[in-house]
Amino acid sequence: MPEYTVLTVISVIAVVALELAWLRTGIFRQAQYWISMAIVFFFQIIIDGWLTKLSDPIVIYNPDEMLGVRAPWDIPIEDFGFGFSMVTLTLLIWVRVTRRDDSTRSAHKEAS
Amino acid sequence: MNTYQYLLLMAVCVAITLPLEFVLHARVYRRLRLALMALIPTVIVFSIWDIVGIVRDHWTYNPRFVTGIHLGVMPLEELVFFIVVPLCGLLTYEAVGDVLGRVRRSPAASEPREAHDA
Repeated sequence: MPEYTVLTVISVIAVVALELAWLRTGIFRQAQYWISMAIVFFFQIIIDGWLTKLSDPIVIYNPDEMLGVRAPWDIPIEDFGFGFSMVTLTLLIWVRVTRRDDSTRSAHKEAS
Repeated sequence: MNTYQYLLLMAVCVAITLPLEFVLHARVYRRLRLALMALIPTVIVFSIWDIVGIVRDHWTYNPRFVTGIHLGVMPLEELVFFIVVPLCGLLTYEAVGDVLGRVRRSPAASEPREAHDA
């Protein structure tokens, strides 16, 4: 199995497991999350499409370490797993820390 | 100018998401401490992944489009990418939350539709 493909699959599973087993923010049940991810993926196609275009690539991939499926344009399919994991991990922690911050604030307000 | 291409692409991402902070009340930059708490684990994990990818020869960077400034084996641009892209994700998430909140609070959404058969 190509290594980039394997690492991408592991990252997606790890982030989903992190949410379901530990953080439990409920983000996967939010319309807010899925709409945001749809927007992020739309812009990923533009930005990543530019980074990976085979005519003038900024990032050059080793064909031995990926599946070789490149779409849309020349984007390696693995990049979408990479993007999902990266943005989802950030959002999970963000939801967790902002909620904690909000509850601390309201606790202070009630106490005063 | 070409060697700044990757960095310029990142600057475009920052610029086009900046209005979300102010127009759609994302309040991500204004909660900098919390934003950093969310970003730092991602930056660490994905920098490690990037370094593994470089060392294991999964990918390389076209010297024509990067500055050549490196942090160890990792190009500076990659660090910028791991900050900018998740930041854009946070801004998007908060902006979508703002819009959904307004839709849900609007009278049209809370009042049941009058029947039209009268």
